[in-house]
Amino acid sequence: MAKSYDYLFKLLLIGDSGVGKTCVLFRFSEDAFNNTFISTIGIDFKIRTIELDGKKIKLQIWDTAGQERFRTITTAYYRGAMGIMLVYDITNEKSFDNIKNWIRNIEENATTDVEKMLLGNKCDAAEKRVVSREKGEQLAIEYGIKFMETSAKDSINVETAFFSIARDIKAKTEKKLEASNPPKGGHQIKANEPSRKPTNWLMRCSIL
Amino acid sequence: METRSKSLVDLMSSSSGTEIFTHGGVGYVPPTARQDDIQTNGTLSIVSYSIGKCIEWKPNEVSIETDGSEQEWALVNTSKPASTSSAPADNIAQRWLPVRIPLTEIRSYRVSNKKTKLLFVHKDRLSHTVFYFQFENADCFTKSLRSVVRTRRSRHDKHTYNLIHERHEPQMPVSFSDFNLLSDQKETVWKFVSDLKSRPYETTLSTFSKVSDFLLYNKYPYERPPEERAFNQEDKRQPTVVDGQKSDGLSDYQVVERRDQLPPRVLSPRGPPLSFHQWCNAMNTEGRITDPDAIKKIIFDGGVQESIRFDVWKYLLGYLPWDSTAEERQDLRQKKTEEYFRMKLQWKSMTAEQESRFSDFRDRKTLIEKDVNRTDRSIPFFEGDDNPNLKLLYDVLMTYVMYDFDLGYVQGMSDLLSPILSVMCNEVDAFWCFVGFMKKVFRNFDMDQSGMKKQLSQLHTLLSAVQPELSTFLDEHESGNMFFCFRWLLVWFKREFQHEEIMELWEVLWTDLPCRNFHLLISVAILEQQRDTIIGNNFGFTEILKHVNDLALNLNLHDVLATAASIFTQLESSPNLTTATRRVLGLMANEAAANSSTSDDDSIISEGLHCAVERSASDECDRELLVSLPV
Repeated sequence: MAKSYDYLFKLLLIGDSGVGKTCVLFRFSEDAFNNTFISTIGIDFKIRTIELDGKKIKLQIWDTAGQERFRTITTAYYRGAMGIMLVYDITNEKSFDNIKNWIRNIEENATTDVEKMLLGNKCDAAEKRVVSREKGEQLAIEYGIKFMETSAKDSINVETAFFSIARDIKAKTEKKLEASNPPKGGHQIKANEPSRKPTNWLMRCSIL
Repeated sequence: METRSKSLVDLMSSSSGTEIFTHGGVGYVPPTARQDDIQTNGTLSIVSYSIGKCIEWKPNEVSIETDGSEQEWALVNTSKPASTSSAPADNIAQRWLPVRIPLTEIRSYRVSNKKTKLLFVHKDRLSHTVFYFQFENADCFTKSLRSVVRTRRSRHDKHTYNLIHERHEPQMPVSFSDFNLLSDQKETVWKFVSDLKSRPYETTLSTFSKVSDFLLYNKYPYERPPEERAFNQEDKRQPTVVDGQKSDGLSDYQVVERRDQLPPRVLSPRGPPLSFHQWCNAMNTEGRITDPDAIKKIIFDGGVQESIRFDVWKYLLGYLPWDSTAEERQDLRQKKTEEYFRMKLQWKSMTAEQESRFSDFRDRKTLIEKDVNRTDRSIPFFEGDDNPNLKLLYDVLMTYVMYDFDLGYVQGMSDLLSPILSVMCNEVDAFWCFVGFMKKVFRNFDMDQSGMKKQLSQLHTLLSAVQPELSTFLDEHESGNMFFCFRWLLVWFKREFQHEEIMELWEVLWTDLPCRNFHLLISVAILEQQRDTIIGNNFGFTEILKHVNDLALNLNLHDVLATAASIFTQLESSPNLTTATRRVLGLMANEAAANSSTSDDDSIISEGLHCAVERSASDECDRELLVSLPV
């Protein structure tokens, strides 16, 4: 039986406490929503395998505690992340203002070419909105990253957002692989052996 | 040992066995491969030889070019893989070899991944073999396996079965010819000659080893004297509790584990909880608890009966002094009630305008609002919309912000308060008990997390003393920082146990018995239960974290408590403990007495006490200030 995926991408969800990181993740991994979620202590991850252009991509998505105090622990998990979702709550101005700090945090702790994306969550709660869509877009342009408003509750854009970041990482990874030398000596593959390519790619693109 | 294990396998390959059971469509992942590496399809069988039974796996298509014409066997036994450091090409070649594992080499098996993954843990606990069932599940195979060898379900993991090896199996061969050393002689001789040609060194040694086994032991090479046999040692390690029931031993205490460095493990059963009757009897006519140590001992051994928790916890958490009279307590509670409401009024009376200029306060308030809405909403006390108890939770946490503004509110604190509030049912008592709990754990919420980091490192120290093999394994798998235990320690296992259980665990820990940092020994006990799974599956960094996170609500509290207590007894009576270990547990009796005035930097608890003293001094100041405030 062949391995069940072609790529493994490590993603990270960060943002202030209570913006809905766990809910976004739960919506994506289980397609469900629960109003009475508990706060995340420490760190955890969920897995979902998606298919893009005929390639199976295993997404390992890490969910972190939002409170600043826990950053010394959570940043230990930034290492090896290939994509980071920065999440704020459109009904909470402070969580939006803090995105700047989160980006600084990424710059200090994650790999430089990590793929980033900005998510304005809880877009279902229109009546409580305090951060306009334009403001979100503007910030994303400022940092040169993609932006989407999402709702974990009403299942808006969550799927799209993860597929989008996965596609970008995939493109980046494949470009890198092409650029790096074509397979040559040192690791000879016997003709009658099934292709081991995916394993090697995996080893190269994930530093887990 | 290595040569003899090898010779057994060789012996088997030269004799013909009977297939008892064969299962097709089974993939095998060699130990050198990664978790998700390509598997080769093949058949898995149980084969009986004259000298014992084996599990054998053969690939469907043996297309690998081997140097000789003979089909080779990968040796899967307790000896380490011969060439782990060999070139990748060799590993690729190795993956296509058939596999044979003598049943006597297997310690346990575990079925997982919706019954598609079958893992054998070997006697040495270090090596393991994994098979994947690709078309149907492993049930059929394990059923057959159980028909040829006795198994017992593990106490610690319901998916793991330990193999019980009979003393007299395999049967002793009766004559030289029965060894099958030279059975099918023509073929064997031919194989020997061809092997000698292609691999002169290995073949010669392997043949010598067969001869020497016979000459040295003068019997079936694999049979050891009973006292030397590995599975005998294993038997001693078997817990005496079978299927969750205590064996009918005459004594309540039984030796269940033997270690080289540490004294024997003695597992004491949990006792009954402190009863209403015992609690009433503990008070003298004035209402003083005359022997608090005896009460604490009962609580440590068995917890507290639910109906008296609301009372007993006030003492355990330092709200009411043990030696106070009923009258003194009445006065104290009155005073504390006034104090609470004074602090509550401070935040209650804050205007929106004030708040707008007080971002620190605002942030804390927002955080508390968020967390109150997502704390233990599934337990009856907090469930449902507009549950009035949510307001109590909110009020106590907000008042705590006024009580200790430096700390304010940190995530996790609502988890610590929730069980207390559900027991006290009133905000004043819950608040002061919570204050007592926070005095024990406030270092968990340090701004720089230094208290947590210190505890994680202390946990590593203890684990190294109790389970050196596991601690080394964690070090080698990027997990030596023990971050995967962060949640356990931050909120004292609140997320790992059911509501009812967490109350018992906490009251046990609040007794401060039998040593400092007993909560770290709880962690060691849980990790020890998971040792075989973690090592057996060769878990990496991410898998360790996932596995530990997924233990939540699947742990047996009484098992864990009894194990932790027995680990302490074991450590306490060990003459070989390192200073670091002793210090973590507060077993440096002489030093503590001599240097009682100097701060012991290695103990969270003693620091906690130290700070508690400082804090109560500053509390006095606060109180004076508060008194002058208009109420």
